Amino acid sequence: MEPIVVVTTFFAASIRMAIPLALAGLGESISEKSGLLNIGVEAIMLCGAFFSFMVVFSTGSFFLGILAGMLGGLSMSMLHALLSIRFKANQTIVGLAQNFLALGLTSFLFLMSFGQTTTLPSTKVLGDLPIPLLSSIPFIGQVLFSQNLFVYLTLGCMVLAHICFYKTDFGVALHAVGEHPIAADTAGLQVHTIRYIAALFNGILGGLGGAYLTTVKLGFFQENITAGKGYIALVAVILGKRTPFGILGAALVIGGAEALQIRLQTAGTGIPSQLFAMFPYLMTIAALLLTIGSAHDPAALGIPYDRDKR
Amino acid sequence: MKRIAIVLFVTLVGVACLFAGGASETKASDSMRVALLLSGPANDQGWNAVAFAGLKAAEEKYGLQTAYSEHVGIADGEAAYTDYASQGYDLVIGHGFQFGEPAVRVSNRFPNTKFMAIESNVYSKNAASYVMACEEAAYLMGMLSASMSKSGKIGMVGGFEQPSIVKVVEAYKLGAKSVNPSIEVLEAYISSFTDVALGKEAAIAMADRGADVLSHVANQAGTGVIKAAEERGLLATGDSYDQNAIAPTTVMCSTIYSVPMLVLNAVEKVQNGTYEGGVFYLGMQDGVVDIAPYNSFDGIIPDSVKTLIADTRKSILNGSLKIPMIETPTRN
Repeated sequence: MEPIVVVTTFFAASIRMAIPLALAGLGESISEKSGLLNIGVEAIMLCGAFFSFMVVFSTGSFFLGILAGMLGGLSMSMLHALLSIRFKANQTIVGLAQNFLALGLTSFLFLMSFGQTTTLPSTKVLGDLPIPLLSSIPFIGQVLFSQNLFVYLTLGCMVLAHICFYKTDFGVALHAVGEHPIAADTAGLQVHTIRYIAALFNGILGGLGGAYLTTVKLGFFQENITAGKGYIALVAVILGKRTPFGILGAALVIGGAEALQIRLQTAGTGIPSQLFAMFPYLMTIAALLLTIGSAHDPAALGIPYDRDKR
Repeated sequence: MKRIAIVLFVTLVGVACLFAGGASETKASDSMRVALLLSGPANDQGWNAVAFAGLKAAEEKYGLQTAYSEHVGIADGEAAYTDYASQGYDLVIGHGFQFGEPAVRVSNRFPNTKFMAIESNVYSKNAASYVMACEEAAYLMGMLSASMSKSGKIGMVGGFEQPSIVKVVEAYKLGAKSVNPSIEVLEAYISSFTDVALGKEAAIAMADRGADVLSHVANQAGTGVIKAAEERGLLATGDSYDQNAIAPTTVMCSTIYSVPMLVLNAVEKVQNGTYEGGVFYLGMQDGVVDIAPYNSFDGIIPDSVKTLIADTRKSILNGSLKIPMIETPTRN
């Protein structure tokens, strides 16, 4: 095979692997910037994947399916927000419990809908959507502009989030409630409302990340289809230091490492497969080590805001 | 307010445990009680689904009282065996290589309970490993794949690199080479039985390198392999049961591991009081391993290939051809 084809297919695969991580990671970064630590990304993605599959399966409409995926993710993130903000519960525990809840809930509903069968209920997948002109650029066109809707959507979200974080009043408010909610409150910002809005975006983006798995990548649902991708998205958030392009880069590193290890294995080297399976995580640890020291967590991350407390 | 939060929490966690803990059911008393441990969901349309079907078949035939646990991780095997044994179950079956060691460890403490691990290689006085000669069917799949490949490259995706999987991959390679010595078999172990997205990605990587027939032995994750083949317009073979229904225009044939036969065999022995420890190999000759019909590919696969496979199957059945069991990967 020609070297250029090898490189092109590798980059295309890296992007395919990175999309769900990038989308869910971006959502989580918005939530964390506001001070809400939600480790239930896995739950959000799983619900997104399940509900989008169910709706595409029963209506055949990708539009409705993706919408349902967003709503599915939203249900999980808003439940987390309600418990964390209104009831001031421990955010880590809520997130953890939600991961189990979503796994059980989606498996149960899937079983209820299709029963214990050996036939796989599946749908069509959203095809590639090459952009005219741009897709005919050599290499870049193949890698970036001959992809599916979700790739463009992810890139768009990253740009929008970047502008929103660093160029708008909402971005300032978001950072303020995450760094110093008391000061933000004194300055007249609605701390709780802003956190709810952050959770809203978290649910929508995470739900999209899950919907990508069922509507674009696979076309079917199975129990625990996310297989830990929500946790990897959390890593991408830390690795990318909660900046949109940082997260995209981190997701590409992790996705790229996975795509690379599979390709190296099929190339038939004499190296044991377990070493290859470790590779993405080694890359992640190496990247974390290289970027150590400069990370900054929002000061109020994980701490419920109580107006009456000093 | 705090109290409400706590109450909500306990409910949430409680509900989560309820759903995540898997299901069990009970029937009339003083019949024989059999429990099954599964590494993934019983609804995985693959490896675990056939075991579950086996349990249900045995339940119907012998009027057993059955229970099962899903999602039993490697670390939880011992606890799960202990749990059922201390409840007085007569036979506890772990479905997978990784259940062997825990079965042996627990078996010493519960001499009245019989333990069984499918596809493992260890035993004690009252714990046995039942091994299916999956390699016999895999060899035939390799022959079929190599015969149907136009590019001279075929791909095989394995789950974990463990003996029960490696022997299938290796036999597949041998079968393929027996038909076409110059065939290139691309192989990858994805270190997961559940990550369908990764399974699909591995298959796409092979397709990108020019493989035109894709096979798998990766349980649930293997569904991703079949879907990748379907998407690229390639051919595939299934594993564990007739997987043609997943992609009727893609899956030519599948290996069949008749776990029901295995379970029935063990239950019968427990009832007769002849169940004993040991490693038992059951293959095509015992009706436990076979290959599925070609379904829609019956008219597509050339007659010469069908005859070749039928003849080889016959030689395995009458014992004149012995498929070697290779449990460590040979890499080219």
